[in-house]
Amino acid sequence: MSVVYINIFLAFTLSFMGLLIYRSHLMSSLLCLEGMMLSLFIMMTVTILANHFTLASMTPIILLVFAACEAALGLSLLVMISSTYGTDYVQNLNLLQC
Amino acid sequence: MTYIVFILSVIFVVSFVGFSSKPSPIYGGLVLIISGAIGCGIVLCFGGSFLGLMVFLIYLGGMLVVFGYTTAMATEQYPEVWVSNKAVLGAFIVGLLSELLTACYILKGDDVEVEVVLKFNGAGDWVIYDTGDSGFFSEEAMGIAALYSYGTWLVIVTGWSLFIGVLVIMEVTRGN
Repeated sequence: MSVVYINIFLAFTLSFMGLLIYRSHLMSSLLCLEGMMLSLFIMMTVTILANHFTLASMTPIILLVFAACEAALGLSLLVMISSTYGTDYVQNLNLLQC
Repeated sequence: MTYIVFILSVIFVVSFVGFSSKPSPIYGGLVLIISGAIGCGIVLCFGGSFLGLMVFLIYLGGMLVVFGYTTAMATEQYPEVWVSNKAVLGAFIVGLLSELLTACYILKGDDVEVEVVLKFNGAGDWVIYDTGDSGFFSEEAMGIAALYSYGTWLVIVTGWSLFIGVLVIMEVTRGN
């Protein structure tokens, strides 16, 4: 397995950390989710191309379809939060207090 | 030139650090566009021209444009840049240092072998194993064309899930 995978896996881990650690905007967490999907796409594509796994070449496109679904859903939630509170700050999401 | 894939992957990780350190979303979106372009370059180096086109067309041209105008809708008056906030700058420097350490460790020896869960070694970096004659057709394009013959059920499932996704989004944004 080539060492390019180390870098792509590191990119996935970095955006995963960025997704879990909130700052002020919800939108930046959604961008980190998109970054995770991009790094998964690149990793899958490089694996398929390097191993000549021809029939699996359709799976990155399927991954992109489901990533688009999830991005659209996340954005619709962000739009509803923004229309309720005015901004998309995560400190506004305080209805659930344990 | 043999290290072009490795250099592109290092720039890929640096741009991922750029938006994972969470500046204001408009700058994060800009850096995500750059990292999408670099990822397309990595895919192109392995010979996947159609999948690189997919990245640009669907990912950057479809999804990130939507992110861009949603961000423009919900942005603030003075967006934060990487140097304007200590937390963002600190996260960026930490990410950059970790990538530099990884790259230096990989480039240190010719026969370096890293074992985390799998065994990575640098031997297969610039050589793609050739399985023989594939004729005049690109294998990857033929594999994607098989989406409509072997992957008919996949197309039906993804089309249906997109349709249901649209209905779910319409219900979510209905409000009241």
